[in-house]
Amino acid sequence: MNFSFSDDQILLKNSVRAALDEQCKPEHVRAMFDDPKGYSAELWGEMAKLGWLGLPFPEEQGGAGLGLVELALLLEEMGRAAYPGPFFTTVVLGGLGLMLGGSAAQKDKWLSAFASGKARATAALLEEHLDWDPAATAATAPKAGSGWTLSGLKRFVPWAHTADVVLVPARSPEGLSLFLVDPKSPGVTLTPMVGIDLGSRWSEMRLDKVAVGVDAILGRPGAAGPVVEALLRRAAVMSSAEMLGAARRCLDMSVEYAKVREQFGQPIGSYQAIRHRCAEMLLEAENAHAAVYYAAWALTAGAEDAAVAASICKSYVNEAARKVCGDAIQVHGGIGFTWEYDLHLYMKRAKGLEPLYGDTEYHRELITRHVTSSR
Amino acid sequence: MDLNYTPEDIAFRKQARTWIEQNLPKKEIRTLEDRLAWHRKLFDAGYLGMGWPKEYGGGGARPMEQAVVADEMARANAPAPTNSLGLGIVGPTIVVHGTDAQKRRYLKKILSAEELWCQLYSEPNAGSDLAALRTSAVDQGDHFLVNGQKIWTSAGAIADWGLLLARTDTKVAKHKGISCFLMNMRQPGVDVRPLKQITGSSEFCEVYMTNARDEKSYQIGKLGEGWAIAQTTLGYELGGRALARITNYASQHSRLVEAAKRMRRHGKPLIEDPLVRQKLGRIWAEIEVERYQALRTLTLLERGEHPGAGGSLTKLSYSELEKRFMELALEILGPYGQLTEGAPKEFQLEIDTAVGERGSWAYAYLWSRAGTIYAGSSEIQKNVIGERILGLPKETRADRVGGKA
Repeated sequence: MNFSFSDDQILLKNSVRAALDEQCKPEHVRAMFDDPKGYSAELWGEMAKLGWLGLPFPEEQGGAGLGLVELALLLEEMGRAAYPGPFFTTVVLGGLGLMLGGSAAQKDKWLSAFASGKARATAALLEEHLDWDPAATAATAPKAGSGWTLSGLKRFVPWAHTADVVLVPARSPEGLSLFLVDPKSPGVTLTPMVGIDLGSRWSEMRLDKVAVGVDAILGRPGAAGPVVEALLRRAAVMSSAEMLGAARRCLDMSVEYAKVREQFGQPIGSYQAIRHRCAEMLLEAENAHAAVYYAAWALTAGAEDAAVAASICKSYVNEAARKVCGDAIQVHGGIGFTWEYDLHLYMKRAKGLEPLYGDTEYHRELITRHVTSSR
Repeated sequence: MDLNYTPEDIAFRKQARTWIEQNLPKKEIRTLEDRLAWHRKLFDAGYLGMGWPKEYGGGGARPMEQAVVADEMARANAPAPTNSLGLGIVGPTIVVHGTDAQKRRYLKKILSAEELWCQLYSEPNAGSDLAALRTSAVDQGDHFLVNGQKIWTSAGAIADWGLLLARTDTKVAKHKGISCFLMNMRQPGVDVRPLKQITGSSEFCEVYMTNARDEKSYQIGKLGEGWAIAQTTLGYELGGRALARITNYASQHSRLVEAAKRMRRHGKPLIEDPLVRQKLGRIWAEIEVERYQALRTLTLLERGEHPGAGGSLTKLSYSELEKRFMELALEILGPYGQLTEGAPKEFQLEIDTAVGERGSWAYAYLWSRAGTIYAGSSEIQKNVIGERILGLPKETRADRVGGKA
């Protein structure tokens, strides 16, 4: 029993922070707001060199062969920096999705391309009704020759405009299937959806009779339900890690501000109204930490409670981040409401991820199903 | 990071579980004698004072082993031993701060419950501001003369001895004038009166000391060190009940789910009400997060590190959770939750209390209000977290203005 990081994990965390402190300063985040692509190809190349883009992939496919605890450490730092770019979509949604359901040939082709920085990916998991249950998928994939033609409307597809491949769930005659779709294929229309977090880009993805070949299917036709569910769990925990990092940044900024900002002749942090709020924020951040790393470990280790741990993690961190980031604005007062002060970069990152990969209520229902059925 | 238990820990847990199954009292504990008999069984099996040094009757066990035994006790809904203050606070204080003679004289008798202990800290005007205590211990040459009043003294009615904080110097800053003593409760100058709480029971007492006598050999540490000793004392119990507490919550949650399956609203089982399901799911997540945090704490303790002010986060977290949990329980159970008598079996809560009373949801609910007050209220914990972990500046306090402190 050891719930702490190894020396190697601490080393990884420190090196990621050092790199992002240097290359992903708030000025960089803001510069990307106005960039057509929304991310820096130079930093992407740097991340490939550092081995981040293949962190959880097998070594045979150019990865580092590390687990989800290490990936969570990396993503926590990205949340802390409000990193703008398709890292999460490529490594988590694309990479882990392929690891869960991909054939050897698909993994060989794509994972090494992700790891080397040559290709980017995402997944289209949400439709217009916003139901995270894969069984609710409405997009269709009737057979056409040896392949299929995909039609449907996907929304909130993150970083689709930068992706070389999109994982798309759709109903084929066999049942729910998962397809690899090139977003530049004929019949695919991407329309930007601009949210409050300008460091995260979303698209509406319309598929109109998009032809895909027999090699485009991930796993067996009709058997995608469990793969999508497993991917959702991983995405839920990894996005929680990113939210945790954003919340930590908000907490740190609040504490530093409370030490130096004076009102009524004293630092505001000396008043219990502020100090107690900061203490509550720390408690939420620490509990969120425990929820994230427990779930990351459980998923990697295949622990008995891995699925419910993922739901506990996302539902807990959703509320914790809401409290910490919201309170951070309150502690800062007026300056926290200005565009030029950086606090909103991190608050918006957490807010943007809150409804994704299962909102709080979705996961709480899963927790209750687990609790009422298992005993 | 590896959150699996080691084969040794699993084997140790199995051994504890077997022992408890074989030795658990068959009938309900009703009297102090029943409880003492159970206590002695636990002592003989080596399950008390597990972390204390072997030479003084302890077991020299690892923090994980202590947590596992407490956890298995909770799992079996085993009655608590008696002398909880002796085991939890007084013993560890003597282990760390006592002289060799004091350790030999007192520790073993705490473990065997031959001598029962209470804690004499809080006063009517010294609660959160404990350092404002006014009970005085005046040096009479060969002994100290003690005068003052203590309150919230648990087990005061049955205690043979107390661990006392008293003022020995009124001329220095208030934190520096306090000393720590052992107090013989069985003497004419000590008057113990039960204090009835909102639960209707009297786990606590008020203690009046009028020219009570304290021998020189009862002094713990140096004069003026009482505050520092009390600070370390508060941290001893961090790991011991870390897992057991969660197991208690989990079995309560399970009882609540069962009750919600039996109750109905608008003609449907309550457990099918989405709002009830949301609330049950939420509180289960919070209970599990406490368990994850317990594993973090145990990791530190196993390495010989002390969580320090981090203990304030732990205490704040579980005591506030317990209040939310019990509010939810009473919300779901409706008037059943308020019953102290006449509850059908499926709406009862079998919890043991240290004084051997029958448990109920109502009782557990009322008790949840105590957790955020005793051993440093939530507000005090937040001050500690703010000042010692986050490094926020201290508040200007009236008792520190003018250089007095």
